[in-house]
Amino acid sequence: MSQTSRRSFLAVAGAGAAATAVAGPADGAVPAASRGVVPLVAHVSDAATGTIVLYVGDEEVVVHDHDLVRRLNRAAGV
Amino acid sequence: MSSHREAPEISKDPVADNTDVYAFVSPDRPRTVTLVANFIPFQNPQGGPNFYEFGDDVVYAINVSNRGYARADVSYEFRFTTRILNDDTFLYNTGPITAINDPDWNRPQFYSVTRRAWGHKPQVLARHLACPPVNIGPRSTPNYGATFTHAAVHPIRGGRTVFAGQRGDAFFVDLGSVFDLGALRPFQSLHLIPLPNADGVNGLQGLNVHTIAIQVPISDLSRNGDIPKDVMKAASVIGVWATASRQKARMWNDRLGRPEGHGPFSQVSRLGNPLFNEVITPMADKDRWNAVPPRNDSQFAKYVAHPELARLLPVLYPGVFPHLAAYTRARADLLAILLTGIPAGVVPGFQNFTGARQADLLRLNLAVPPSSKPDPIGLIAGDPAGFPNGRRLLDNVVAIELRAIAGVTIPLVDPSFTPDKAAALLEDGTSNTNLDLRPHFPYMPDPAGGFQSTPGIPAA
Repeated sequence: MSQTSRRSFLAVAGAGAAATAVAGPADGAVPAASRGVVPLVAHVSDAATGTIVLYVGDEEVVVHDHDLVRRLNRAAGV
Repeated sequence: MSSHREAPEISKDPVADNTDVYAFVSPDRPRTVTLVANFIPFQNPQGGPNFYEFGDDVVYAINVSNRGYARADVSYEFRFTTRILNDDTFLYNTGPITAINDPDWNRPQFYSVTRRAWGHKPQVLARHLACPPVNIGPRSTPNYGATFTHAAVHPIRGGRTVFAGQRGDAFFVDLGSVFDLGALRPFQSLHLIPLPNADGVNGLQGLNVHTIAIQVPISDLSRNGDIPKDVMKAASVIGVWATASRQKARMWNDRLGRPEGHGPFSQVSRLGNPLFNEVITPMADKDRWNAVPPRNDSQFAKYVAHPELARLLPVLYPGVFPHLAAYTRARADLLAILLTGIPAGVVPGFQNFTGARQADLLRLNLAVPPSSKPDPIGLIAGDPAGFPNGRRLLDNVVAIELRAIAGVTIPLVDPSFTPDKAAALLEDGTSNTNLDLRPHFPYMPDPAGGFQSTPGIPAA
């Protein structure tokens, strides 16, 4: 059932695009979560590679961001 | 059985647990195919006050491969929504439910149907279709069959017909015996731990399931959008399987007291051939099997090639299966029946081969007409309209698969093998002891009623 949307494809294709999506999207292809109307679940699936999976609506977005993983770990007291 | 509680994880999630899949050319409408997928096993008819219902958080689908790649070329997707009409009562119904839209049914459930076809946009076929209530008893759901079954059969776009709701379980098997070290009561005097022979006991007697059934024109499923007439053509064969999917992330909402889903839907249950995951796949791989698509099934082919049950039969029934015990080759017969379909040249005038890609699909040759005298033993008894050419509600798949695993089908691919005499006689001694199958769609029997049904008799 998992579908690769254009947005998730872009996110997987490059950490830069993914980081942009997380930090603050600049284009109009951003799903509902970034508009702040849908809860979002972030799963640090592999801290060593900086991989975070975002579950939003019925999509998932994979981002690779070591700095964000570090900040999340710090916030979680890990 | 055939896929009731068949894997550790899905057994903890009955709402998504796919118990049986059937696919057959409709006997009373032979220009159509009926696809049936059942969920929520072992429903005690008395199981209130919160009776059984589909999961609003589950996506149910019946999938069809028609091009030989074991991908979903056509899917019918079902999503459910439940309403509570009266917030101030604990009751499922606040009076007799005398119609499918009776406001005294406090918890009606509705569904949508979406058709997905490879390379095309999804097409919503219908919305807000009513499910029937469960069968509670003569005061709450009087005249259940006459009142609700037909009312819950909905004609929808494109000459299709759907039903979703509680039904009696059409599957039959002696669960109490087969799970007691593989015993078959009619032959248990020959068991390693012998007991006097006895009749089989249908372990699903008096129990209900939730059925999703759809009847569609054959042209809705076939590769070329036609009604195939040539049994031997590859385009005459489809592969069918059902799935249930849940959102990947579930968060407990302690304000609402229930989980919320986030992210894409991911497969948690699937079913093609009956008993595949149940008795072929080792326990350690069963959960993973439920999560992967059938097109990736070559990784499980080793379990089909050397099935554990074929090794167990000679041990459990000493001296009864000497030929099977001595047979060490890979089971090409089972690999064909379960994972590729039967190629041309094996059974005269028949094939349901879908190509070399190994996938657990329930394969149906659409050019085979319904049988006027269906044999519950299906193809191996000379009735090509029965399992493993699709699966009808009346097919005795336990006996068919027992006999196949015991070696009856080996000579189809290895004429040097002579099956043991007992192999062709194997059965668990059960038949359908629930209400009668219906002659028309949705064919599944009316559900057992809570008031009318008598609980089983405990013994130890």
